[in-house]
Amino acid sequence: MAEFDKADIEKLIDGVLPWPATQDMLKSPKDTDRFDKYVEIMQARVDFKDPILLPLTPMLFIVAADGERVVKCRCGHSFGDYRANWKLSSLIHVRDDEASISEIYRGREMPDPAWVQIREYICGGCGSQLEVEAVPRGCPPDFDFLPDLDTFYGEWLGRPLPDTFSFEDKTLEKIAEWSS
Amino acid sequence: MALSLRERTQAHEDAFKATGCLFGLETLVCKETDPGGYEAVWHILSNLCNAAWAVGCKVSSSPIAAEGGDALWGLHTATGEAICISRGISAHAGLLSDMIKNFIALGYEDNPGFKPGDIFENNDPHYGGIHSPDFDMCMPLFYDGELIAWASCVSHVSDAGSVTPGSIGFLNPDCYSDGLAISMERVGEGNRFYPWYELRIRSRTRTPDFVMGDARGRLAGCLTIRDRLEEVIEKYGLDFITDASKEYIEDSRRYAVGRVKTQTVPGRVRKSQFKDLAMKGKRVLLAKQDLDCAFNLPMELTINADASVDLSLQGASGTVPFGENISPTALKSGLMMGYSHIVGFDMFNSGPISAWNVEMPPAGSWANPFEKNYEAASGVAWAPAVTWVSNLYEVFGRLFQMRGFVEEMAAGAGTIMTAEFSGINQTGMYLTGLTLEQASQGSPARGYSDGENSAWCIYTPEADFGNAEISELYYPILFLGRNVAPNSGGYGQFRGGLGHTAVWMVYNTPGLEYQCGDAGMRSKMVANHGMYGAYPVVPDRPAYGHKTNVKQLIEEQKPLIHGRGDPESPLIASLIEAEVVEDNAIAPFVTPEPLQDYDIIVHPIAGAQAMGDPITRDVASVERDLNEGWTTTRVASEIHGVVADKPNGAFVVDSAATDAKRSEIRAARKARAVPFKDWWLEEREKVKAEENMDPAILTMWSTCMEFSPKYGEELLAFWALPEDFTFSG
Repeated sequence: MAEFDKADIEKLIDGVLPWPATQDMLKSPKDTDRFDKYVEIMQARVDFKDPILLPLTPMLFIVAADGERVVKCRCGHSFGDYRANWKLSSLIHVRDDEASISEIYRGREMPDPAWVQIREYICGGCGSQLEVEAVPRGCPPDFDFLPDLDTFYGEWLGRPLPDTFSFEDKTLEKIAEWSS
Repeated sequence: MALSLRERTQAHEDAFKATGCLFGLETLVCKETDPGGYEAVWHILSNLCNAAWAVGCKVSSSPIAAEGGDALWGLHTATGEAICISRGISAHAGLLSDMIKNFIALGYEDNPGFKPGDIFENNDPHYGGIHSPDFDMCMPLFYDGELIAWASCVSHVSDAGSVTPGSIGFLNPDCYSDGLAISMERVGEGNRFYPWYELRIRSRTRTPDFVMGDARGRLAGCLTIRDRLEEVIEKYGLDFITDASKEYIEDSRRYAVGRVKTQTVPGRVRKSQFKDLAMKGKRVLLAKQDLDCAFNLPMELTINADASVDLSLQGASGTVPFGENISPTALKSGLMMGYSHIVGFDMFNSGPISAWNVEMPPAGSWANPFEKNYEAASGVAWAPAVTWVSNLYEVFGRLFQMRGFVEEMAAGAGTIMTAEFSGINQTGMYLTGLTLEQASQGSPARGYSDGENSAWCIYTPEADFGNAEISELYYPILFLGRNVAPNSGGYGQFRGGLGHTAVWMVYNTPGLEYQCGDAGMRSKMVANHGMYGAYPVVPDRPAYGHKTNVKQLIEEQKPLIHGRGDPESPLIASLIEAEVVEDNAIAPFVTPEPLQDYDIIVHPIAGAQAMGDPITRDVASVERDLNEGWTTTRVASEIHGVVADKPNGAFVVDSAATDAKRSEIRAARKARAVPFKDWWLEEREKVKAEENMDPAILTMWSTCMEFSPKYGEELLAFWALPEDFTFSG
């Protein structure tokens, strides 16, 4: 089984690993400790101490914090319970007219705002652009991934987490609060 | 008494249910007892299929197969499961497998029976075909009088006699206009086509020499498989070949399941995807087609504790009165291709997909049309399907990232817009057919680098736009340009590979029709979302000039057009004078009248999806892109936040000014963005009022909610709309 240095994995993430070494990673049987090494690398790059449970994206992490599991940006900004779509706790900028869309797409590259709006999800802490959606009006934001964390740790990694959380989508609970 | 093929199929299904292993193979005996032979035979069988591809493409006539390799050959078990396939259009492996299974399920073993030299075909979507120009063929293979395997093939012919010329039937209003149907037929015996097969091709397709040439190419490849397989059996023995063949399929299933378990995370993935088809006011065939359509192409994927995968298309929108509807069988085949590229590519066969539970798409949707709309057309059925499959690349890219396998990450595809010509060429021959430009797009951004330019195609690993000179040989066109298109790969930390622009001058013809076709294009919308904060790929906007002054420009040796130019001032508008200049066409369309000599076509081919926040893009990459002409100063500055000037003829980045600019962009983002809840409160009122929502979008939502009530309930709940709310479309 292949093993790769943390330093090489870091170079890969940063896009500076030489191509032959990258090919080696692509072609070799996968290393079994990659997840742990990746989490260690990410843990050293974030501005918070809470342990990372899952790197949701290169910028967003599900972390264990004060008995809860919440989504945090690298900068430490929290988006709340990982079982509700984090986008509902984000800042959002929506381009849904020609003036705002033309800041990105000009002239013959301009999409039609009656067909599509560009939604930018921005971190309230560091101003990072975390996701961009291009959807017609009426489309709920994608809940890109709701992990079954307890199955992952308990059955797949063989080291259960100290507490368990139900595997359920809580997004609509938040909506219900807003609309009541 | 030996079991019939139908009984053997049932026995396989029962064994899979009982053991969780395909064919009940809990132990891979050949692999364990003779690993060298097992590995060697795998490569021999793969090469045998590749030999069939090489022979078959050479025998074929149309440039689509002969030059582009747009075909596929496969080897199957006696009950139809794909063992291995050739290079080529791998999207068809599952479909060919299902076709053989369908022949067995329909009782063809008894009537008309299977015997050596029989040739069977199907291209009919009602029986699992994808679209009529894709002729699917299979031949039973015998050894010592026993049916032991099947050879299969598909090739994409240049014309199948649909209501409009060519093979991208996006305008077909119903299945009756989809062209010549081969509906699960025996089309030959004794290794020869029936004479009446050829008569039918001759009377009902526009390019019969090419279509028959391609049929002979399919046959030649299948016979190559037959002959080579006999040699392999002589060497390794029939028992080993048949046993190992089943093991390759089970082995591949185990590989895919193992990869899901070791490289992804259990849970639920959701990815929306949309596509436009704006036809209102354009040249159409029937009055009912004078409308714009929008597609909802949603993907919900659940990875279970046992690493099996559930897949749902709940929310898929309704059928359209055009050729963009697909049978569930063909859709599943496309899914198998995507999945095999991403997860199960060690041995490409029927194995990986067997660990999937694919829910039947909503009846009446584009993905399952015939239950509610038997007349639905499938002229270019893969248009919505490839767009939808693009999601699979992105969602698995996201899952691989979570486990740290950054080297496996990929974003999604861009768009697929085709160009087809029909008319008389320079030799006086009538021609219609597809150019190969769309088969060479930018590849998706990877987790560690940009994608590659003009080197990838979602529907085939055989990404190749062919030699320009070959296209010029067939079609009455000359290439004035074929060059990388700047800013065509989205904007992100890593951008998608860039697409290109083909610029053609019509030449040496009494008249040529240009069909700018839909094979997954988007023209009103951008392609996909961004991934991880990147901006999506630009929409497809072709251009053309009719009755131009290009002849005069050539005689006066003045500049000609070689590319798109700036989107705000396209070159076709500034360099060419013409009676008709369409410099911002909404695709797809057919030119209102035939083009003539010296007319100009500017045909864009997309790049692919980017990933990551654009202001985190490495400044050296932006500098390189500026110097290569792959991006522009506006995009570098306003989207990537990179300040550069050009002191000595080359761009040089000012690092300090760039850092300051990027800080400004971050601050500006926070200043203009609002809490999601504030936006939601305003937006739900706009949704309720249907404010600035095109009628096509309203119809799309309306059909989604009708065909997928649960999806509809969740949509209403998200916007806190009353249960009886409906969109007016």
